[in-house]
Amino acid sequence: MPSATLERALELRSGRERPGQFWKIDLDAIDFSSLKAAPASDPQIAAPSKPGLIACGLETARRDHAELFNRAFGSVTGTLNDKFAALSAALCNTGAFVYVPPDQSIDDPIEITYTAKNGALFPHTLVVVDRGARCTVIERIEGESADVVCGIAEIVAAESASVTYAAEQNLPLESQAFFTRAASPGKDASVTWCVAEVGAALSVSRIDVLVDHPGVDAHLNGFFFPRQDQHVDMVSTIRHNVGESQSQTLIKSAATGRGQARYLGNIRIAPHAQGTEASLRDDALLLSPRAHIDSVPALEIGANDVKAFHGATIGALDENLIFYMESRGIERESAEKMIALGFFEPVVERFPTAAMRDRLRAALEAKIA
Amino acid sequence: MSERGLHIHQLRASAGGTQILKGIDLSVEAGRVHALMGPNGSGKSTLAFSLTGHPGFKVESGSVTLDGADVLAMPPDKRAKAGLFLSFQYPAAIPGVKVANFLFAARQALHPGDLPPAKFRALLLEKMDLLDMDPSFMGRYLNDGFSGGEKKRLEMLQLAMLAPKYAILDETDSGLDVDALRAVGESVNAMRASETGKNTGFLIITHYPRILQYVQPDVVHIMIDGRIVKEGDAELAQRIEREGYDKIREETAQIA
Repeated sequence: MPSATLERALELRSGRERPGQFWKIDLDAIDFSSLKAAPASDPQIAAPSKPGLIACGLETARRDHAELFNRAFGSVTGTLNDKFAALSAALCNTGAFVYVPPDQSIDDPIEITYTAKNGALFPHTLVVVDRGARCTVIERIEGESADVVCGIAEIVAAESASVTYAAEQNLPLESQAFFTRAASPGKDASVTWCVAEVGAALSVSRIDVLVDHPGVDAHLNGFFFPRQDQHVDMVSTIRHNVGESQSQTLIKSAATGRGQARYLGNIRIAPHAQGTEASLRDDALLLSPRAHIDSVPALEIGANDVKAFHGATIGALDENLIFYMESRGIERESAEKMIALGFFEPVVERFPTAAMRDRLRAALEAKIA
Repeated sequence: MSERGLHIHQLRASAGGTQILKGIDLSVEAGRVHALMGPNGSGKSTLAFSLTGHPGFKVESGSVTLDGADVLAMPPDKRAKAGLFLSFQYPAAIPGVKVANFLFAARQALHPGDLPPAKFRALLLEKMDLLDMDPSFMGRYLNDGFSGGEKKRLEMLQLAMLAPKYAILDETDSGLDVDALRAVGESVNAMRASETGKNTGFLIITHYPRILQYVQPDVVHIMIDGRIVKEGDAELAQRIEREGYDKIREETAQIA
């Protein structure tokens, strides 16, 4: 174990201090030094058979695809100087490598499932999509026991590549999840994140797109829904470092019971990133008087020839909508459920497969019940 | 069966602490078309919302019975189940809930298990065709991004699909172009001509008598300042068209 790397990670600050809020958990006080890590293993990987497509565990990647793998591994998340990414990197005990060769188009999703059992999990998924290639990756994070999962998902997309990465965290309720997800798209590349934070007592996640080339089309979709005593802390950042690119961020959240959440949605447009078009929309729904969501869109616009839009809403279910449904004979409880599920539908619809969408709808429905 | 009908007796209701309905007496009979006319602010929409149980309106006194059942004692969904329907002046937009799913849920709630999904779908397509609605409407989110005319057509579609005993149409004609108005009128007439709709009683709330060119009223009620001040036949609507409300307001003020 490279203990110097771990020492450094432990000393990093989370950077998530936000003053004067209801949020009570100090992310910097969480003790990672005494965690019992699970033995090294490979996740379950299901991939279609396509010429040149690589989908394998980390050991195989290092051994059989060293050049492709080493060039990209940690190249995006390593630059973030993020505490949880650094911890994951230092303690990495599982992971997957996906490589799609140039101009190869993979229709069926590549599905990677991490299952926490017998100790803490530090997964690292690396997806490299070569020039003009296209693929969809589905990552499922599940658990048979309540553990800490601190992971990384990393996308390196070459020129004109197109990749959709959908992550579904559905750990047992007593778990803790820390995820860093970052993408680096090349010129004219398209990157779509779909992130569902469903399970765990504490879910801390970060989603980044680094727009360093023109022509990038970035989509960031996410939802979370803390209930009972669940806590969710999500930060998304689209960093428009060059212009002539576009991004769309869509976040939907709800909280019920004593669920607590905070979301910070960053759009950063650098001074010379002219011709950027960025939009951010986040809607939050409060379903109980003791639930809290603190949702903050943060636009930092340095260039003058840009189109930037943000819209945010927060509130309880609209009585007028409930009444409309009741007036058609639908009972109040069912009406509330339909409206709350409908609230998430515009983001659920963006997840890649019908099976995944149905799973997510079922998970949301279970939370409302 | 003397109790048959939607009977409103001395209904007083308020919104935000202000009394708007000041003792309404009105009966809608099964199979008949009643027009409720009145100037803006006379309380027509308050009556519609008080009858259907909107939480923003408080009934202070009076009674409402639907074929003998006490409407005011019921929550809104039970009123719908008793056979009451309101076509909203401003229907709510509900993103994420698809028209077909919503209509199926509503139909199931009001007429449990009477139409299996395939037959429901066939009926839905038939009614949509009648209203000049494209089948793609079924997959759209409820009223989300709909034009004014599309919203009103969807209200009429719900009316046709839910087959209520008593239907209140609140300003369904407002903001409609002639084509949409004709489609709405034809939809109501088609319903009245059908086996399931021939006994439906209508209360058509309108400011202008435009819609009444398409749907002939049996009774016209004039409402001013929270009271029914005059009743008559279709000729009364023609008079409003010619003279406006001021003359009637003067006449009835003298009587009061």
